[in-house]
Amino acid sequence: MSLEARLEAATTEYQKLQKVDIANAVENLQKLDSQLQENEIVQKEFNLLKDDSNIYKLVGPVLVKQDKAEATENVARRLEHIQSDIKRMEDQVKDLTEKFEKKKVEIVQLNASRAQQTAS
Amino acid sequence: MGKRRPKQPPRRPTVLEEEMSTVPKQQTIELGDLDLPQLVEVKKQLDEELSHLTASFGKLKQAQSRFQDCIDSLQNVKARATGSEILVPLTGSLYVPGELLETDKVIVDVGTGYYVEKTSDDAVKFYSDKVEFVKKNLDKLQETINTKQNNLRLTVDVMQLKISLGAASTSK
Repeated sequence: MSLEARLEAATTEYQKLQKVDIANAVENLQKLDSQLQENEIVQKEFNLLKDDSNIYKLVGPVLVKQDKAEATENVARRLEHIQSDIKRMEDQVKDLTEKFEKKKVEIVQLNASRAQQTAS
Repeated sequence: MGKRRPKQPPRRPTVLEEEMSTVPKQQTIELGDLDLPQLVEVKKQLDEELSHLTASFGKLKQAQSRFQDCIDSLQNVKARATGSEILVPLTGSLYVPGELLETDKVIVDVGTGYYVEKTSDDAVKFYSDKVEFVKKNLDKLQETINTKQNNLRLTVDVMQLKISLGAASTSK
């Protein structure tokens, strides 16, 4: 493959990494973060409640009465779930960023060797 | 649900940012050291961040007034005697007559599909806390917006300076 073609391929990939992959991952991470916060707020609210408080859960258009213990456990489980999702997403972002850095180095190198080629 | 912390604008690492990150600590970079295309890039990024932050600010304001509305309605209902007649909205334009049986118990949406029965006073407190919470975030956000606006102004100033300097040197 000629230098130009390789450079072009690397640049395309570089841009895709930046504009699509990383941007998507970051967006997902933000969504998860706001979910985490909402659930944390609910958990805090549950902790303030008396044990005999009535809790309802919205199922479709109706409110269904739910046990406090069950609801608390539900939220706790959801929090755990979201936290592990966040961790996975963060690893992914890290991974992508590393790939991105590598591509950048590759482009710089290709550029340098092309400059050398045109100079000679 | 409007209860979220103001989101940071999506961080898209640009080439420029990469270069900046090699400089210890952000903000310490001298705008004057950048050339015009880089400044344009900085300005673009600041513009993007600002519009995102302003949008978040608007949303938070809306959330705040929604919570305030809840407080007002609660106080309104609480002041009525049981047995008062009310009109219950079925849709935005269709109502059926109803009668208030209990004015001291309400069901509050606490988020993620959960609703909790509360006394009116507790509910008012709940919403007041929410308003306060949002207000705190609004203040923080306002601060960030101010800093960003200052940065933007600075960048534009430096850009203009560079442009006029460049024009002066080419006309010579």
